[in-house]
Amino acid sequence: MSMRNTWVIARRELLERVKSKWFVAITLLGPIFMVALVVVPAIISAKSTSGARMDIVDQTGVLGEPLAKKLHDDYDWIVNVVPKDTPDQTELDKIRDDKINGFLTIPAGAVVFSNVLYRGDNAASQYVGAYLQKAMTEVVFDARADLVKLTREQRAAMLGDVNVVPMHTTGEAEGSSGLGSFLIAYILAFILYMVITLYGVNVMRSVVQEKTSRVMEFLVAVVKPQSLMSGKILGVGGAALIQLTVWLGIGAITLAYRTEILGAFGIDSGQSPLPPLDFFAVTITLVYFILGYFFYSAMYAAVGAMVSSEQDTQQVQMPVTMLLVIGVMCFQLIASSPRGGAASVMTMVPFWSPMLMPMRFVLGGATLGDVALSLGILLVSTILVVRAAAKIYRVGVLLYGKRPSVRELVRWLRY
Amino acid sequence: MSSALSIKGVVKKFGNHVAVDDISFEVPRGVVYGILGPNGAGKSTTLRMINDIIAPDRGEIKILGDMAPGVVAAQKMGYLPEERGLYPKMKVGEIIEFMGELRGLKRAEAKKRGAAWMERLGLTKWMGNKVQDLSKGMQQKVQFATALLHEPEVLILDEPWSGLDPINAEVLREIVGEIRESGRTVLFSTHQMEQAEKIVDALCIIARGKLVASGTLRELKAASSAAGWIALGFAEGGREKADAVLADAALISDRRESEEDDHDIEVTAPDSQRLLTALIGAGVALRKFEVITPSLHQIFVERVGPEAAVAEREEPAA
Repeated sequence: MSMRNTWVIARRELLERVKSKWFVAITLLGPIFMVALVVVPAIISAKSTSGARMDIVDQTGVLGEPLAKKLHDDYDWIVNVVPKDTPDQTELDKIRDDKINGFLTIPAGAVVFSNVLYRGDNAASQYVGAYLQKAMTEVVFDARADLVKLTREQRAAMLGDVNVVPMHTTGEAEGSSGLGSFLIAYILAFILYMVITLYGVNVMRSVVQEKTSRVMEFLVAVVKPQSLMSGKILGVGGAALIQLTVWLGIGAITLAYRTEILGAFGIDSGQSPLPPLDFFAVTITLVYFILGYFFYSAMYAAVGAMVSSEQDTQQVQMPVTMLLVIGVMCFQLIASSPRGGAASVMTMVPFWSPMLMPMRFVLGGATLGDVALSLGILLVSTILVVRAAAKIYRVGVLLYGKRPSVRELVRWLRY
Repeated sequence: MSSALSIKGVVKKFGNHVAVDDISFEVPRGVVYGILGPNGAGKSTTLRMINDIIAPDRGEIKILGDMAPGVVAAQKMGYLPEERGLYPKMKVGEIIEFMGELRGLKRAEAKKRGAAWMERLGLTKWMGNKVQDLSKGMQQKVQFATALLHEPEVLILDEPWSGLDPINAEVLREIVGEIRESGRTVLFSTHQMEQAEKIVDALCIIARGKLVASGTLRELKAASSAAGWIALGFAEGGREKADAVLADAALISDRRESEEDDHDIEVTAPDSQRLLTALIGAGVALRKFEVITPSLHQIFVERVGPEAAVAEREEPAA
């Protein structure tokens, strides 16, 4: 009977959320956001700097014109070479009046020792810097080649492209782009963090609302607090799982067809290869989500039961939220050394394994044995946390007013 | 038949405060039973223990024979808590279905009965509205419906009149009457004696966690110190003639001057019929001759003490 009530509660919680306009909007807009994450940087890199207006103050007399032509031909920049004695202030005034975006000052010795200064409102863009670097390097090399009187063939032989391609691999699977792997792993970990926090806090808030609206009085007479808590966690978790599955599904499809998608925007995806999100990685992510969600939402439910008003939750939830934030701060640590000692430890600790292990796994830092051990630890801890939370919840939901002290909490746990 | 509720030696402490101190009473089936007491007497705590919201420290509670409070018993019980609330964002129809399901009804059945109740309470057109769109009075009706939907054998109402307007109070009285007629049991708590007196068959009085009286309304009235007295009021010049009659020790056993305006003296008589005959025979001009029935309020003040009746002690938070 109490099992049935748990389901009745869970269904109500699930429907209340799934039927809300916000849920539908976020579930559907989330993937658009994710697609944007892949597409927008590509668009920006391709399009943002085109049409940039620039002046060149060239004191060498040989670099300015070829550089202007190169920037115009390669990147569609509008470049003017101005007289070499133009004062900086004149150029700065032009920037201020939005006549140009910036100007490049090429000192007399630039062919030998190439140190040029670019000042402009778009200087913060990494692409502006990169394009200037590339174009400048070529014209300076041309000038140097002329200086030592190299033939065209000699020059080509000297200055052919040198490419270092970072491919991510741990010796097992096919390698993929280092940046791409990191991006996918990071997005996965971040989504896990977001969904666990979002829905954990949601559980807490809904417990507090039941207390403040006094619905709790009705409920506890019919349902055991334990069933009430598990029903709530299951129902809210169901909504979260639906959302996450939709997101991961669309994310995986987006990645699988990224070339076509990028192509539709007129972008060649060649330079940013992303690894595909395979079925196994998605499954592991979902399993970690489910356990991590139970682990944290049980804690949040206990927090909700301990307080009597929304305002009180701010302080009491702090320790739980801090635990999650510590996990976020370790993202970089896992990414930079997925097989390192710190990564091995952090992905075993149940507070952080739900977010960090999928990341480590996608980066190839964890064997299936690692995953199994980590899941085992998480499972046992989740059972313990849910039990402890249920005890706090049982006493807490009936209390109004004063918040329990730590000593009282310990006593509740012993009941 | 076994009683609807049997409470034996129940004790509940919160820290050092003894909220319920060794209380025992029986609620027979098919009656309307009141737990009366000032605020903070332990009424709500007792009802919460019957509903298995909190567990007694000592003692035994049996429901409908031999059921202990718990999930199984909850299917036979309806409960209107003192602190009432509904999910503000849920639709009226949905919340009624939800509560009905929790009390063991099938969803379709809960829907059907919910519709019938809403019809009866005049809320049919509000079924699709959110609870928060309803007035307080309408919300209370919805709450009654959620407590009654599954036709509970035992209906428990904690301070049912608190915040209730006179019209809804009348609706409540009507419903309670119907439940009694159908042979089911109602247990309620209140500190409003006037309301209680209108519906109660039997009752107990609790003060400071202790049971101070219990029995049927008739028994408690008979046991009252006010019981047995006869109020005598005289018309102009009746007093002198009456005093002569009342001098006969065989007619009255005790007398006292009245503090009330509507009669002059109060007496106790071994045979009130004989006293009346004697007074009329002597030509006493009577304005009033009435056997005093103590009100529930009088009984309550008598048992609890006037200070306890007004004492507004805070209910402990649990």
